[in-house]
Amino acid sequence: MISFENVTKVYNKTIRAVDDISFNVKGGEIVGFIGPNGSGKTTTMKLLTGIIKADVGKITVNGFNVRKQPLEAKASIGYIADSPDMFLRLKGTEFLDLIGDIYRVPTDDRRKRIKEFAERFELSDSLGSPIMSYSHGMRQKIMVIAALLHDPPVWILDEPMVGLDPKSAYELKQMMREHAKAGNAVFFSTHVLEVAEKLCDRVIIIKKGHLLYDGTLDELENKNKNGSLEEIFLELTGNDKKEKELSE
Amino acid sequence: MSIYLKLVKALIASVEPTAEEKGRKKIFYGIMAFIAVFFIMIPMAFLIGIIIYVLTAKLLQLGSGQNAAELFLQLTAVFSFVFGLNVIFSVFYFSGDIESLLPLPLRPSKIIASKFTAALISESIMEFIIIIAVFSGYIIASGLPFYTWIIALFGMITLPIVPLAYCAVICIIVMLITGFIKNKDTVNKITGVLTFAVIIGLAVLISKSGGLDTEHLVNALSDRNNSLIGILGVIFPHISFLMNSMTEHTILNLLIYIGINILAVAIFMIIAEAFYLDTVAGVSRSAVSKKKSLSKSISSVKAGRPSISYLKKEFRILFRTPAYFMNCILINLIWPIFLYLIYVLQGKTNFLSSFIDGINSGNEFYVLIFILGISAVSVLVTAANCIASSAFTREGSHLAFIKYIPLSYMAQINIKALVSIIISGAGMLIYVIAASLYLHLGIKLMLFCCIISLLSVAFASYFGIFMDSVNPKLIWDSELNALRGNYNIFFNMAMAIVIEGITCAGAYLAFSFTNIGSLIIMLSLLILLMILTAVSYLLCKFKATANIDKMSV
Repeated sequence: MISFENVTKVYNKTIRAVDDISFNVKGGEIVGFIGPNGSGKTTTMKLLTGIIKADVGKITVNGFNVRKQPLEAKASIGYIADSPDMFLRLKGTEFLDLIGDIYRVPTDDRRKRIKEFAERFELSDSLGSPIMSYSHGMRQKIMVIAALLHDPPVWILDEPMVGLDPKSAYELKQMMREHAKAGNAVFFSTHVLEVAEKLCDRVIIIKKGHLLYDGTLDELENKNKNGSLEEIFLELTGNDKKEKELSE
Repeated sequence: MSIYLKLVKALIASVEPTAEEKGRKKIFYGIMAFIAVFFIMIPMAFLIGIIIYVLTAKLLQLGSGQNAAELFLQLTAVFSFVFGLNVIFSVFYFSGDIESLLPLPLRPSKIIASKFTAALISESIMEFIIIIAVFSGYIIASGLPFYTWIIALFGMITLPIVPLAYCAVICIIVMLITGFIKNKDTVNKITGVLTFAVIIGLAVLISKSGGLDTEHLVNALSDRNNSLIGILGVIFPHISFLMNSMTEHTILNLLIYIGINILAVAIFMIIAEAFYLDTVAGVSRSAVSKKKSLSKSISSVKAGRPSISYLKKEFRILFRTPAYFMNCILINLIWPIFLYLIYVLQGKTNFLSSFIDGINSGNEFYVLIFILGISAVSVLVTAANCIASSAFTREGSHLAFIKYIPLSYMAQINIKALVSIIISGAGMLIYVIAASLYLHLGIKLMLFCCIISLLSVAFASYFGIFMDSVNPKLIWDSELNALRGNYNIFFNMAMAIVIEGITCAGAYLAFSFTNIGSLIIMLSLLILLMILTAVSYLLCKFKATANIDKMSV
C-alpha cells in the first residue's frame, strides 16, 4: 500500500531531513513511526502525502506514484496533519462537507459516516458550531473525522492521539484496528511508546533522517533483552553505536 | 523598559517578513521595492509636497501660511484614526500572541504599551512619508530656518501617536461596554462598518467645504472661520501647536505639543491598566455558539461539486473573518466615495462636468479616456482589495491543505481567481453600468465597457495570485497580520499600477499623437487586455503551480 524507495529530502541544500530511507507498509498492517523530535517523521509524512517533494527516490501510495499520479495518490490517503487549527471560521459540518465534496463522498455515505464518527467521538452536539469554538481536542477529533470520511485505503496520521481524551483515543485505536482488519494500511507517528506497543504490527524507528529499525516489536525486544521498550528506544535513539549495530 | 523594548521588537517581527522569507527572494524584494518606491511612494510624496508648496505660497500673501499644511496634517490624522481603529482592535484583542502574553507576569499597561508601539511603527511608515512631504512643501515655501527640519522630523515620528491613542481608548471602551455580546467577531465587524460610516461622513463634510480649484481652496483656507479646520483643530489640537512651534520660533508651543502627546498616552495607559485584562479575558471566553442536534446538523450535509464547495469555503472565510471582511470586501465600496468627492470638489475647474459633457456629445477623446479610466480603476480595485494577492497568504499555517487534497493546483488557483473576479467584478459592473446609463453611452458601448472592466479584473486577479505565489507570507498570528506589513500586496499593487499605467499612457499617446482612430485604439486595448490576462493565466499555470510545490510552513 505504501512504498518508500531510497527517498532523500534535503532542506536548504544542507539539512538531510530524510536520508535514503526505504520501507513498505502492506494492506492490513498498522505501522508505527517512532523517533525523537526533529528526526524526520513529519517530513516523511509530508513526502508521502505530496505536501513536499522528494529530491531522490520513489514513493507510491495504493499503487500510485506520488509524483506522477498525485491526484490519484492523494485521493487514496486519509491524512491527519500535526496541527488541527484549520478553517476555524467554518462550522464543523461545513468543513466536513467541503472534505466530502473534494473526496467525492456520496451524500448517504457521508451522512452515515459523519453520524457514526461524531457519536464515537462524542462530537454530535458541536458539529453545527464554528470550529473556532472547539477545544483543541475537539479540533483534533474533527480532523480525524475529516481524514476518515472518504474511507481511504491508506491512513497517514501524524501524532493522531495528541489532544484526544482517553475515550476518543481508545475509539481511534479501535478504528485503526478495524481499518487494518479490512485490508487497509495504517501508518502513524507517535511519541507514546505504549500506543505503539499495543497497536502496531510493526514499528519503524527513525533518527536524524536515518532509518534505525524496521520490524516487529517482538524482534526488537528479542534483540535487546535487557529492558523495556522505552529503555530500548532511549538507548537506540541516543546511542550511535547501538544504531550501527541495529542497522547492520 | 528593556522588557517593553524586547516585546515591541518581538511584536514588530511577527508582522514583518522574516529574514528567511526575505532571504529566499532577495532579488524579487529588491526589484519590487524599487518599483514601489520609485513609481508610488516618491511620485506621491512629490505631488503632496508640490500641492502644499503652491497653496502655502499663495496663503502666505494672505497671512495664513500654515493653514494648508495644517489641514493636510489634520486630514492625515483623521485617516490614521479611521484606519487605525481596525488595526488596534485586532492587535489588542484578536492577535494570536495574546494567549502567550497574558500568562506572563507583566502589567497590562506594559503589554498594551508594547502592542501600541509596535502597531504605531508598523502602521505609520506610509504616514511618515506623507507627513514629511507636507512639511517639506511648507518649510520650503515659507523659507523657514534650518532647525524647523528637526521639528519636522520629530513631528513625522510623533504625529500619529494621538490619533492611535484615540483608537486605543475607544477600542478598550467599546470592548468594555459590549461585554454582553458573546461573539466578539460581531463587535469587530460592527466597528468596521462604523468606520466605513465615518469615512462617508467625512466625505460629506469635506464635500461641503468647497471645491478643489486653487482659488477656492486658498479662499477657504485663508478664512479664519473655516469650519473643517476648526472642528479638526479641536479633535487634534496638537497639530496646530506643532505648526506654531515652527513659525513662531518659541519653545512653548513645542512643549505644549509634547504635553498633549504625553497626556493622550497617559490617559490611554490608565484606561488600559484598569480595563484591558477584563476586556481581553472576555474575548477568550467568546465564540461559543448554540448546540445543535446531530440530526439537524447532518441534514445540511449534501454532496456537491468540489469546485463549488471550495468556492463556498473561500467566500465563507472572506465574509466571516472581520479582518478580511473589512480589507477585502468593504474596501470595494470605498472608492466610489472618492469619485463622488472628486465630482463634488471639482469646484470652478469643472473638469468632471466638461468631461461628462464631452462624453454626452460623443467626443471620441472623452469616451476613450472613460474606457481607459474603467480599465485602470478595475485593475486598481482588484489589486487594492488584495483578495487575489493574498490568496495563498490567507492559507497561513494550514497551507498544506491545498497540497494534500486531490484537487489540482490549477483548479484551486482558478477558484481563487474566480472569487476575486466575482467580488471585484460584480462591484465594478454595477458602477460601470450605472455610469454608462448616466452618461447615455448606449448598449454597445456599455457592453464594451463591461468587457473591458471584467478583463482588467481577470488580469489583475491572475496576476495577483501569481505575485502571491512567489513568496506568500504564511506565518502570521492574526488574520489582519496576514494583510498588514505584507509586501506582496503592496508590490502587486505597484506592478499593477505600472502595467496599467503603461497601457493607458500608450493608448492616450497613440490617440493624441498619431492618426490612429479611437475605435482601433479601443480594440487594441481589448486585445492587449486579453493578452495580459492570458499571460497572467499562463504564469499561474506554469510558475505559480511550481511555486506552490516549493511553499512550506
